[in-house]
Amino acid sequence: MVMCKDVVENIMGYIDAELDDKTLEELEKHLDECPECQVFVRTYRKMLELTGKLRERTFVTPEIRERLKQLLKSKLKPN
Amino acid sequence: MKETGFLRKMIGTVTGQRGKETSPPDLVNTTDEKLIELFISSKDERAFEEIVNRYADKIYRLAFKITRDYYSAEEILQEVFLTLINKIDTFRGESKFSSWLYRVTANAAYMHLRAQKKYENDVSLEDYVPYDENGTLMGRIKAKDWSDKPDKALLSEEAMEIIEKAVNELPEPYRVVFHLRDVEGFSNQEVSEVLGLSVPALKSRLHRARLYLRDKLSDYFYEWSK
Repeated sequence: MVMCKDVVENIMGYIDAELDDKTLEELEKHLDECPECQVFVRTYRKMLELTGKLRERTFVTPEIRERLKQLLKSKLKPN
Repeated sequence: MKETGFLRKMIGTVTGQRGKETSPPDLVNTTDEKLIELFISSKDERAFEEIVNRYADKIYRLAFKITRDYYSAEEILQEVFLTLINKIDTFRGESKFSSWLYRVTANAAYMHLRAQKKYENDVSLEDYVPYDENGTLMGRIKAKDWSDKPDKALLSEEAMEIIEKAVNELPEPYRVVFHLRDVEGFSNQEVSEVLGLSVPALKSRLHRARLYLRDKLSDYFYEWSK
């Protein structure tokens, strides 16, 4: 019998559509009947969507670029 | 002193604001490997400029994610480009150039941690599970449902800070895998090459990192909305 634990442990395969048909069918049957697992899957997807946006938050500032430029300038200066 | 053409170009590159494309249009669509070939064979300065444009942010983010220190991340950024200038011939083309560059970055970052004796007291998440001993989630998830919160709230600066804090709280081995795979969007194979981990091992870490983060975000957002 499929339990919440099976949904949790197969969540990566479920999200990436890598489960075999039988496992998928059993998990979806459980999901249809389990509100806790439904929320688990929804919040898991949402978490991935949000964390993917973190990439836009950390970047090389103009000040860091300037210091990098000065360093590379000295190292790449032709003799 | 009169600057060379290359230096003039570099100034344009590295002082540009974020997102401003300053690379010559003919190199924008050139593969990394071709750029490296140009740099090695003819010291094509524009090729180096384009590599800096492509990878500075990514190198900086990975270095920060490992060290969690902005000063170290900047030092590592500089070290990696110096390594690129001095040791590019050690790139043998056996893996993608990007994987090689990230591996150089990760190694430099771990060296920094060792040099500064900044070892994290890492907690293993291998046994981390959200379900109870009976394998059920009953009463553990639905009460803290935040999936229907409007995007405006979830994408606010405050919420993004909460999310970033949660990621930074992951123990280092999990944090780095999560960063490369889910933030930078690498494939499993690429993460495997960069970190020298087997694909099953990194998938296991990623799985636990995601479970931990989902729970953390649920706690944060539940408290946040009280």
